[in-house]
Amino acid sequence: MVRTTVVGSYPRVGDTHEEQSLRRAIARVDKGDADAASLRDAEREVMKAALREQNDAGIDLVTDGQIGWYDSQSHIARSFGGIETNGLVRYFDTNTYYRQPVVQGAVAWKAPILVDDWKFATANSKAPVKAVLTGPLTLASLALDKHYGKKKALTLDLATALGEEVGALVRAGASHVQIDEPALTRYPKDLSLAVEGLERVRARKGNTPLTLFTYFGDVARIYEDVVHAPADLIGFDLVQGAATWTSIAKQGSKKPLVLGVIDARNTKQEAPADVAKKVLSLKDSVDLKSSYLSPSNGLEFLPRDRAREKLRILAATAKKIGVGG
Amino acid sequence: MSALLTTSVGSFPKPDYLMRARTKAAKGELTAEGLRDLEEKSTGEWIRYQEHIGIDIPVDGEQYRGDMATYFAENIEGTEISGLVRSYGNRYYKKPIIVDELRLRGPISVDWFKFAQARTKKPVKGMITGPYTMMDWSFDEFYGSREEACLAFAKLLHQEALALEAAGAKIVQVDEPALSTRFDELPLLVQAVGEVTKGLEAKTILHTCYGNYNEIFEYFNKLPVDQLDLEMSNSGLDLLERFKREPLRKEIAFGVVDVHSHVIEPESLIRERIEKALTIFEPSKLYIDPDCGLKTRTVEEAQAKLANMVAAARAVREARHLT
Repeated sequence: MVRTTVVGSYPRVGDTHEEQSLRRAIARVDKGDADAASLRDAEREVMKAALREQNDAGIDLVTDGQIGWYDSQSHIARSFGGIETNGLVRYFDTNTYYRQPVVQGAVAWKAPILVDDWKFATANSKAPVKAVLTGPLTLASLALDKHYGKKKALTLDLATALGEEVGALVRAGASHVQIDEPALTRYPKDLSLAVEGLERVRARKGNTPLTLFTYFGDVARIYEDVVHAPADLIGFDLVQGAATWTSIAKQGSKKPLVLGVIDARNTKQEAPADVAKKVLSLKDSVDLKSSYLSPSNGLEFLPRDRAREKLRILAATAKKIGVGG
Repeated sequence: MSALLTTSVGSFPKPDYLMRARTKAAKGELTAEGLRDLEEKSTGEWIRYQEHIGIDIPVDGEQYRGDMATYFAENIEGTEISGLVRSYGNRYYKKPIIVDELRLRGPISVDWFKFAQARTKKPVKGMITGPYTMMDWSFDEFYGSREEACLAFAKLLHQEALALEAAGAKIVQVDEPALSTRFDELPLLVQAVGEVTKGLEAKTILHTCYGNYNEIFEYFNKLPVDQLDLEMSNSGLDLLERFKREPLRKEIAFGVVDVHSHVIEPESLIRERIEKALTIFEPSKLYIDPDCGLKTRTVEEAQAKLANMVAAARAVREARHLT
């Protein structure tokens, strides 16, 4: 048996009138016809729907879908002292854009950023909710640094600030925390810096399991060091990062893994039996019982109906493995 | 010698009556003919506005397009259109899904080119969404290879470019906003755009935006087009130094107004930007335009930005006695 989880984001609108409530709410606020509180309510309704869809699909460990996030970078970064946000920049090789954080001064955590949403999500989900944070290396790599001048100093201060946030989440009761470091697929040489940053986060997590997730590519060249990173579980994108499959098969992992086997960037539907067969080929290299299957990255790159379908495929794949494993 | 000719990248905002009509048409409450009438009305209005402010190279304003990739995909067999996917903030778009071998049904944008060109004596640009962007912005359930899908689009879009030229287009622009998505695929982009532009007599332009230009800089001179159209005001003014060291052997259309800001850049600021550009580029090879399509602005904002841009270019021309 293998469990299922998701990586983070979930489509916040769909194609029915009802599924576009958040889009309308934002438009009303933009026009000055509604206030921020009404937007918050609209976000929470969509968060509930995202949780319901994950619960209905039978996903074992869910997220709040990052419904309230403007994007993966500015949502967290703008709440830290020393950071402002700037114009739009392309987010890795996706056709999505993030408001670029601009580091103007020393980075400092000020107050909890994700805790309220995590509590709300937990109260509205049948399955446990994983708290997901963008990692310090990725935040530092994608920001515009006008203060530190050295990526290392910025990364480590971001890590300290993220550690504070993780501490707040753990105090609130978070039972799973994930740090996303997609930048590792682009800057593998920065692994030691990512590890140093992760140490600062780990110091604040107590006994809560911590996942390190990399996506938008492979980490085959640094696989051995990535699995030894200071995290309890390691997550891999095995679609765009298909090269990492071979590393896992050859070198295995003593730690449980999150195997990102369902393509979260293409609508093409996988056959659960085919994916299950591939995953089962790893059963001598990885302890599948303590591992998870997941999409390759956040599901927000897909239309809502296709994201739902991918959740179904994910659950069906895990079920097949349960029978065959 | 012409100098500092003004133009636009492609899209303009749709007036409220057209937005309402599109919503109605999507619900089946307005016929395709009814919608087309209003698209023609607003296209005519935009042509008249461009004539009014004296833009040198007008565009049709893309009033008939929802999204630049889905519009082309809707007219290509072998595709379906997906549900909404978020781009940023509250902006969503539908993506093409390649479900079968791509085949051209007939000319895609030629009718609109003819419609616009019939309303002005100035040369209207023919506008093609480039093959790399079509591929990158589509889900692929058929080819299973980015290269194969990209070159399949290129083959069809070459036919479209030839059809535009046959319809009288003196300028054909290939839009490749996805150009800077994956640096390792730049050779594929060069090959695919070359497939589209091969054998054309029309002036060819490649437009791109939102990229890390420093990373792609070495490819600028390799792009198989006569002119590069770059977003410069939002992020690229820093690039001028590099152009000084490594000259561009092509014409450049230089974006001088930010299309993602509500702020209307004053004429004086745009003049400064043009003057900066003139420290690097020859006036005859320097075209002035907005960073990108203006469709995300309101009609009033877009018109104000264009009017200031044209006035600024005119003022610089006069101050420097350029004809």
